[in-house]
Amino acid sequence: MTYKHIFQTSIKGLSTNRSRSILTILGIVIGITAIMLVVSLGAGAQSLILGQVQGLGTNTIAVIPGREPTSPSDVSSLFGDSLKQKDIVALQNKSNVPYLKSIMPTVIGSDTASYNSNTYQTSIFGATELIAEIFDLHPSEGRFFQREDVISSADVVVIGSEVATHLFDNEDPLGQKIKIKGRNFKVVAVLPPTGGGSLFNFDSMALMPYTTAQTYLLGIKYFNRIIMQSLTDAQVESTAEDVKLTLRESHNITDPTKDDFTVQTQQDLANRLTTITSALTYFLAAVASIALFVGGVGIMNIMLVSVTERTREIGLRKALGATDRDILSQFLLEAVLLTAIGGVIGIILGSSLAFIISLILSKVLSVDWQYVFPWSGAILGLVVSALIGLIFGGYPAKQAASKSPIEALRYE
Amino acid sequence: MNIIEVKNLRKSYHEGITSTVALKNVTFSIRKGEFVAIMGPSGSGKSTLLHLLGLLDEPTSGHYEFNGKNISSYSRNELAVLRNEKIGFVFQAFNLLPRTSVLQNAILPLYYSHIPQSEWEARGKAAVESVGLGHRLSHQPSELSGGEKQRLAIARALVNNPDIIFADEPTGNLDSKSGKNVMSIIQHLNEKEGRTIVLITHESSTAEHSERIIRLMDGEIESDEKVKHRLTPNDEYVK
Repeated sequence: MTYKHIFQTSIKGLSTNRSRSILTILGIVIGITAIMLVVSLGAGAQSLILGQVQGLGTNTIAVIPGREPTSPSDVSSLFGDSLKQKDIVALQNKSNVPYLKSIMPTVIGSDTASYNSNTYQTSIFGATELIAEIFDLHPSEGRFFQREDVISSADVVVIGSEVATHLFDNEDPLGQKIKIKGRNFKVVAVLPPTGGGSLFNFDSMALMPYTTAQTYLLGIKYFNRIIMQSLTDAQVESTAEDVKLTLRESHNITDPTKDDFTVQTQQDLANRLTTITSALTYFLAAVASIALFVGGVGIMNIMLVSVTERTREIGLRKALGATDRDILSQFLLEAVLLTAIGGVIGIILGSSLAFIISLILSKVLSVDWQYVFPWSGAILGLVVSALIGLIFGGYPAKQAASKSPIEALRYE
Repeated sequence: MNIIEVKNLRKSYHEGITSTVALKNVTFSIRKGEFVAIMGPSGSGKSTLLHLLGLLDEPTSGHYEFNGKNISSYSRNELAVLRNEKIGFVFQAFNLLPRTSVLQNAILPLYYSHIPQSEWEARGKAAVESVGLGHRLSHQPSELSGGEKQRLAIARALVNNPDIIFADEPTGNLDSKSGKNVMSIIQHLNEKEGRTIVLITHESSTAEHSERIIRLMDGEIESDEKVKHRLTPNDEYVK
């Protein structure tokens, strides 16, 4: 029997039991669709997050106080006070960190801002004038505070769009004074809405010189984070190394395991986020595979029923001259065809659904959600579904082929 | 020239500790072109004998030469090829594929043959027309009467142009008129086309279409004699 005839026979076998074939395919379709959806949306989310991170510039280096947190309860490491003004001076020294382009100490806090009778819980972000460049911020009105404002601890503030709408309703906030901790701050600029997708939610923030925030609002002398940029992307690693050495010297640390600070590069962060989102995607894909496995069991079930139900047909075919191999090929091909058709439909369905969802997400959340065709998901789906056909169809097919003609013909 | 020669053919079935002997030491031969009926009450071993002769089952012991070749050393594959090329089967229960057209049913054996696909349709049509079903080519088996189903089964048995046809109670499920029709076709195949026929029946009226009747009893040949007054296709068929 030639492959062409085996193929024709299998197609005929499937089409004479059309509704059963369709129901079997459905199980595989659902499984593959779920996997495609998860993998595609996972890849989309990943590229969105990485896009945000890389939007900060890949030459960015951040220093935070304390060791790398070793566990969620390791809170002490998060709120260290080890980063001081003398560190800034040491880092700015060209002989310590030769490729430093810019350095910005930052502090963070949270407080209630009020204007007349309106109040709003804002995040306080204290920084230098470099914040506009580093975070690529462009005020919709007004202009950012300047170097002099930082030096003089001026009572100026740049507010996010949410803060503006909550405090000022329809009034123009520019030049008005808002009250935080009983002190008046002049609004010098308002930021446009950034949308929900940003890593830092500037919409609900009040930005001010770090000196102002330290002195009048937080009452601290240290920094929560120092953000730096190297001259070029290629110098990030060596600069990060220089920063570590400089801070150790400044803090009198000889044993690197006792560091009271952590240096993070943008690349570290991107790698870490990639690991997290990939792990999440694979976890979800594993969950979705359960659906596929159930579909596979469905195939085996149907093939077993089909073999039992068609035992007399197998006997007849053998009586008419079919060899064991002919019967095996026919039933195996039937199973593989079912799963392959289901796999292709699932891939088409899954990727179209993922495309539609990515359109909806980018419209509704107004984020730059990229549709990603999940090649890995598609290949995995096809291979897995064909394997399911081979494995789950193989056993019943083998059973069918090993029957003697008369045993099969007499089967009631 | 004998197409079938069996010596001391024996078949027993084992089920647990009990074993049943279906055939004991059966010895006979069938000439090419002969029309032989095998008769006997149920349980006499006639179906077992037919299955052994038709290469559907293997004997427990004994010697079987088919077409001058000892087939005891043949593999399952080689037996399948022999069944496909040399043998045609007609079953009591027709065994047609449901939801498959008359023509497609008739050409089913060709899928397992070396005959090129370009010849299939012509061969199938010729076989179906030879049993008088030329007007039913695209019908489904469920649309055929019992007699027509059995004629289609005969067409399927003929499509590979076999040397020998084994018919297992071919009229068993048919009314007398259809049965007569089927028997006249089978007799025609023997007399006009010279094909060897081995037929199982428990009806003497059916057996008397043959040239020779082998009677089995308890797995042994009880008698083996020529038919003195052979029925012709035109004789009244009495069930």
